[in-house]
Amino acid sequence: MPDGHRVAPTIRLVETVPAMIVVQDLFKYYGEYPAVRGISFEVPRGRVVGFLGPNGAGKSTTMRILAGFLTATSGKASIDGRDVFWDPIEARRRIGYMPESCPLYGDMRVTEYLKFRAGLKGLGWSTRRKRLDYVLERCWLKDVKSQLVGTLSKGYRQRVGLADALLADPPVLILDEPTAGLDPTQIRETRKLIRELGQQHTMLLSTHILSEVEAACDSVIIIYQGQVVADGSLAAVRERYGNQNLEDIFIRLTGQEGI
Amino acid sequence: MRSAECGVRSEIRNPKSEIRIPNAMRPTLSLIQREFTAYFFSPIGFVTLAVFLLVTGRLFGLALGLLTEPGPRGTEFPMQTLLGDEKFWLVFLFIPPLLTMRLLAEERGTGTLESLMTAPIRDWQVVAGKYLACLLFYVVLWLPTLAYLPVLLDLDANWKPRIDPWPVVTSYVGAFFAGAMFLAIGLYVSSLVKSQLVAAMIAMILSLVFVVAAFWRPEYDAGSLTTRIVYFLSVPEHFRRDFTRGIVDTRHLVLYGSITLLCLFLTVRSLEARRLR
Repeated sequence: MPDGHRVAPTIRLVETVPAMIVVQDLFKYYGEYPAVRGISFEVPRGRVVGFLGPNGAGKSTTMRILAGFLTATSGKASIDGRDVFWDPIEARRRIGYMPESCPLYGDMRVTEYLKFRAGLKGLGWSTRRKRLDYVLERCWLKDVKSQLVGTLSKGYRQRVGLADALLADPPVLILDEPTAGLDPTQIRETRKLIRELGQQHTMLLSTHILSEVEAACDSVIIIYQGQVVADGSLAAVRERYGNQNLEDIFIRLTGQEGI
Repeated sequence: MRSAECGVRSEIRNPKSEIRIPNAMRPTLSLIQREFTAYFFSPIGFVTLAVFLLVTGRLFGLALGLLTEPGPRGTEFPMQTLLGDEKFWLVFLFIPPLLTMRLLAEERGTGTLESLMTAPIRDWQVVAGKYLACLLFYVVLWLPTLAYLPVLLDLDANWKPRIDPWPVVTSYVGAFFAGAMFLAIGLYVSSLVKSQLVAAMIAMILSLVFVVAAFWRPEYDAGSLTTRIVYFLSVPEHFRRDFTRGIVDTRHLVLYGSITLLCLFLTVRSLEARRLR
């Protein structure tokens, strides 16, 4: 387990280095309905955090607020010290965000799309070419690079989304269900990629596949009905709930014990 | 002191994630390029171009007929045959909404708006990029009509222009600004709905306000308030009476300009409101 050598130094890091993602008392109302009710957590630099919770718990909403797509009703969120509401451009420049279901322009070719995204993120011409080569290599997109995005399979579309998130080499990656709808081989590939990327980036990823969290993440945040119910390193969370496996903990915390 | 501070900061910061301050224009230019080329990815751009050229070509044929009419019949203002006619504007009504309908409605429909709005680009830059792209395509729409110019010159054996150039120039200026207004209306509507079809329909209905009043022109009392209001709002009237006769009435340009700015402002607001819901 790679956890052993990672957990020990991060405890010290929490005290010395300011956290990369800070969320404080975040509330989000959709009309009358509170989707997020007072979420607070911190993600220290270099940590890979699994963001868990049943459907409708507020995962996507929280991630969208962090990425700047939605504005919180109240509360604060900041990326690398930049408030996502008051300093949105600087905050977004530090995030690589991959939305749920990964919407792409179907009428563009893979390289065209990535070049366009690189331009949107403000990369210059020389960096654009360098980063493009890097992400094509990194996300195994070389053989489909001149294919229309609309004709790609689900797995390749996810990779294009991930490549887009990596383009500007942001310190923080926020991935909303990066493995949803993939086949087992692709899930394993993506997991490997996430683990590799975790060496260089702070990462917050939501998923429903709990074994993935155990394989790829340092710590977990479990939310239920818009509130944080568990937060901590994998080992700590497991210990707190009597060394059960993550699935049992998840089901216990999200109140569906009888099933 | 300062260098020491910098040293500490660069130590903390991961050198691979060094953030460059990008050129402020880059995201907008990138967006313009994408939106402009997207017109050529789908048939809609070509269809619009074809219909537009068919109509202007036919009207040019009519104007040419009048110009070469022997005897006392003919036309004093050939541009009036082209642009001063309500029939042209009735067809024209469909063109800007067809160009603008997909700009934001499609992105909202397919969800790509989420990746666009989470990129480090300001809302007004998104709107400016999209608007300039469709304005550019609108100019491209008019460019082939320059081919009529050699035809006109050919009327004379010595290739000397025998038509007054200024009404032509003012007509083009008018067409640019009137088109800019209709495009801005279309862009605003596109930011409000998810369906391209609905966006196009609503934009057409709103544009109709600026076109339809002229159809009842013969029925108005020339001195009445109605006439003055219609004259103020009605784009075909502006062209029939002023632009195609070589007159640039700033009142019309102010109207086009202010509606354009208003719609663009509302579009930015509508994108902002999208985040707040």
